[in-house]
Amino acid sequence: MAADASAQRVAALAAGLLIVFLALALLSGWFSDYALELGGRVLLLMTLAEAWNLLAGYGGLVSLGTASFVGVGAYVLVGVMNRGAGLPLACLAAGLAAAALALLVSRAVFRLRGLYFTVGTLALSEALRLFMINFQPLGGATGLFLSPDVPGLRGLFLLALGLFAAATILMELATRSRFSILLRAVRDDEDAAAQIGVRPFRIKLLAFVFASVLMGLGGALQGLKLGAVEPYGMFGLQWTVNVLAIVIIGGQGLRLAALLGSVFVVTLGELLASYPALHLAITGLILIIVIRFAPQGLAGLTIRLARRLRRSTRA
Amino acid sequence: MDLQTVTDSLVSGVLLGGILALTALGLSIALGVMRLVNLAHGEILVGGAYLGLYLLRWTGLDPVLGLLLIGVLMAVLVYPLHGLLLAPLSGQGLEAPMMTMFGVSIILQNAFLLFFSADTRSIDRPYAATPVHIGSITVPQIYLIGFVISVIVIVLVHLLIARTRFGRELRASAADPGAAAANGVDVRRVHALTFALGAACAAMGGTLIGIAFSFSPTSGASYLLTGFAIVVLGGLGNIFATLVAGVALGLLQSLGGVVFGDGYRELAGLVLFLVVLAIRPQGLLSGRGS
Amino acid sequence: MNGAPQDAAVPLLVASGLSKHYGGVRAIDEVSLTLPRGTVLGVIGPNGAGKSTLIGLLGGALRPTAGRIQFDGVDVTGEPAAERARRGIGRTYQIPRPFLDMTVRENLLAAQYSLEPFIGRQRALDACDGILERTGLADAANLAARALPLLRRKRLEVARALALKPRLLLLDEVGAGLVDSEVGDLIALIRALAREVQGLIIIEHVLRIVRECCGELLVVNFGRKLAEGHTAAVLASEQVAAVYLGTAHAGAIPSPQAAAATGLAGLVQANAPQAEPAGVPLLELRDLHAGYGLARVLTGIDLVVRTGQAVAILGTNGAGKTTLASVISGLIRPSAGELRIDGVNRVGAGPHQIARLGISQCMEGRRIFAPLSVAENLLLAAGRASKAERSRRLDLVYGVFPVLRERRAQGGTSMSGGQQQMLAIGRALMSRPRLIIFDEISLGLAPVVMDQLYAALAALRAAGLTMLIVEQDVQRALDLADEVHVMEHGRIALSGTATQIRDNPVLRHLYIGTAD
Repeated sequence: MAADASAQRVAALAAGLLIVFLALALLSGWFSDYALELGGRVLLLMTLAEAWNLLAGYGGLVSLGTASFVGVGAYVLVGVMNRGAGLPLACLAAGLAAAALALLVSRAVFRLRGLYFTVGTLALSEALRLFMINFQPLGGATGLFLSPDVPGLRGLFLLALGLFAAATILMELATRSRFSILLRAVRDDEDAAAQIGVRPFRIKLLAFVFASVLMGLGGALQGLKLGAVEPYGMFGLQWTVNVLAIVIIGGQGLRLAALLGSVFVVTLGELLASYPALHLAITGLILIIVIRFAPQGLAGLTIRLARRLRRSTRA
Repeated sequence: MDLQTVTDSLVSGVLLGGILALTALGLSIALGVMRLVNLAHGEILVGGAYLGLYLLRWTGLDPVLGLLLIGVLMAVLVYPLHGLLLAPLSGQGLEAPMMTMFGVSIILQNAFLLFFSADTRSIDRPYAATPVHIGSITVPQIYLIGFVISVIVIVLVHLLIARTRFGRELRASAADPGAAAANGVDVRRVHALTFALGAACAAMGGTLIGIAFSFSPTSGASYLLTGFAIVVLGGLGNIFATLVAGVALGLLQSLGGVVFGDGYRELAGLVLFLVVLAIRPQGLLSGRGS
Repeated sequence: MNGAPQDAAVPLLVASGLSKHYGGVRAIDEVSLTLPRGTVLGVIGPNGAGKSTLIGLLGGALRPTAGRIQFDGVDVTGEPAAERARRGIGRTYQIPRPFLDMTVRENLLAAQYSLEPFIGRQRALDACDGILERTGLADAANLAARALPLLRRKRLEVARALALKPRLLLLDEVGAGLVDSEVGDLIALIRALAREVQGLIIIEHVLRIVRECCGELLVVNFGRKLAEGHTAAVLASEQVAAVYLGTAHAGAIPSPQAAAATGLAGLVQANAPQAEPAGVPLLELRDLHAGYGLARVLTGIDLVVRTGQAVAILGTNGAGKTTLASVISGLIRPSAGELRIDGVNRVGAGPHQIARLGISQCMEGRRIFAPLSVAENLLLAAGRASKAERSRRLDLVYGVFPVLRERRAQGGTSMSGGQQQMLAIGRALMSRPRLIIFDEISLGLAPVVMDQLYAALAALRAAGLTMLIVEQDVQRALDLADEVHVMEHGRIALSGTATQIRDNPVLRHLYIGTAD
């Protein structure tokens, strides 16, 4: 029956993913430092992109405020660890802080539909950044330094892998579950959804909090890796820009799109590392071209290509 | 902090708000008529400042005297962008044009970096810093000049929209594009012209700001947000409400700076923005209730 | 009806003094109704009477300007739609709004899960499949809602509302656009529904459904209650018949001299023989097909309009009349076929290009520009004309509709419905058109106002204007038109001269639904 087949699929996918993750984890002992660093970055960005996609693709909420939650997660982790707490507790605190922020602003931002929501989230992240620059008790423009030791590159890679694994499995559950049906209903037609008893605010809030927690944890990881946090790096627009670039270039969707997009963005960044202005300008150009000519992104192109190949081999 | 300084500060804020209102006008028109969230607005503003700078440098023409020219130049530069980038996206929803403009903003920012370097610039004019005394109040000359010019331009734009045929077509296209088209209006052309007009306003405001303050390739982002704050405060559809909102924001920014310190100026504006968004997304001054 | 433990004496629904005003327009005005448990109530009335607004108010999508609503003794006036749905008020939309990117089954699951978030998956699926069986959608369970044709989308609307286990069900025009056999199926479905819920309110145009399903009837006109009572009695009343088939009225067509006297000739590009090569019709549609996505709306339309003709397009709701008007004016692109203006195929031309070819439209719902004043609305349509020419035309239009001159500086939508319609007609005239499409201009207007409008139309016709009249009011259209086409399900079912059609029993059948 349909229900069994779906459950089987989820189980198969989960098993497959777990195997991949375990393999990567084991193999990581042989990766070079460069590969670990790059891989860690890709995994972190993929997590953020998947979280963003949950909000935008499934929930219809296009957010430009990724930086807010990344920054909050990072600062909370550093602050908590500086007071002597261990890593697990610090991560928990970071996640909770991100959730708290989401709850706090939800009432405001969910009154806004469509474009106003997007602009509102942008304003939020900028406001937070400006606030942190000026607020001395949290380090002001200099920021905070992490007192305890930072784990090595391999440790960081494994943490990123772990975060991505957890995020993927949770996303898989979320998107195949009844929650995804309710979420998509709200996205498709909020008024019709209300008419059948769905409470749009609650559903959107759940998605928002979930995505925010993931972003907060990503930020925490970043803060851990750098050993320091400051407003420009943690609350800066580059987080928002990068995630957007990944989603637009990779396509809207999970896993494949996030992977293709992240790899592309990180690779481009590496290639043009010596020319930051050119790098960003080209990113912008690629965004415009992709929006215009390939709205489904690399993932969409890949799928179309795969279909065409399948058709030609069948013929 | 004595009363004199505070008063000077607040009046400066009011005058500055007028200039900000001019820049926000472009944003408001684009949003109202084309439903476009122009995320490149800040960069167009900064672009106007660069135009003013190089106009002065290459021709010796004072940017204030050549302000109209700067506006026209920017409009001409920007007009083809609509046909090239935005018009083909019509019918794909509202995010695609917004993200495209986001891409444009990134390109512009970095183009500025590449061509003009990251140095902070300023358009150096004698009246920029010299003070003028209105009664017992002292403000830099440029603030007063900028305010007066901004109000004049805003009034001109208002007349354009309220009294001319183009203005009718613009308002009709904003209210009901389908009906407008059915009545003979070339809505695509109206959108392109609206886009260009908005850019012109942003550029002119940007030049004035470039004289009053300094600017750099990345200054655009904060002006984007103050622009949105003004648009939301004033509501869409009423040009004079935009002016009032601009003045209010300028005043509030000064207040924030006086009370909390200079670094909190922009934050005060943003917080107000968020609060207004939360309470009344359609604007404080717009007539329509929910 | 299920034997509920509630007090059977308490009516299921009581609405008192419900009103909904939009600025100057009173969509619903002081409507009160009581629905006892176990009743099937029909709500009928002409288009624009406010029926859908009433459903919106009862279902919670709209907030009333005044009045109260009590559901099972509880005041729900302030509750939003989601809360009312959870209380047991289900509602379908006149134009179906399924979740397009989800499958049919998922559409139902959404309702199921919102009702019982923790229900076991198998139980949820079984419940949904059961509903799909009953509503005839079992074979489409895994199809995306987007792929369903309009009629099946209507069934999905009902199915989805059912998944919420409603106690009161509000059905908004489920019967529109169905053929006889489908109507029979629908009646059976409604009768089965009536056994499951405690109360049913049905808005309908198809009077057969109303006759066979509803015990009680409520007639609405201009937002007010016109009549109520047992179905047979209400349907037999003269008043109600008049409201539906249109009133008899003096439809004298003024002579050409009279038309000249009103100066209308200056507004109409009538005698311009050079514009039309001999024998080529002004407007011709050949095998035209159009739709929205996968929903076919128009199929194989062939239509010819010659200079000087007045052609009427009749048909029930959902027949495709307005879609046809939109295709001709360029707002919708046909998927197949030709749209020839002066013999040249103009498929793909944008609306403003078609307007510049001399074809104007009075759009359904008027579509007056609210931010513009009356004068500005008119001037906008004059387009490229010189200032002097614009003034001249403006004066002529004011001559035809003096009330517009009085209110020329006021906001376009601040006037009454009838005056706005005059503005719409005036606006269409300002471009000096050769052909005007009048799309449902009588919607929601009083007979007296309609007299004035149609007198103006008659004068325009005498002045030589070519017109295409899409109308709901059958009598008025027949009085004015030379040629008549009757649409049904996106096709032209019947064509002929006005006299031929007037006496054709098929026409009565199409509208009233009985073969008597």
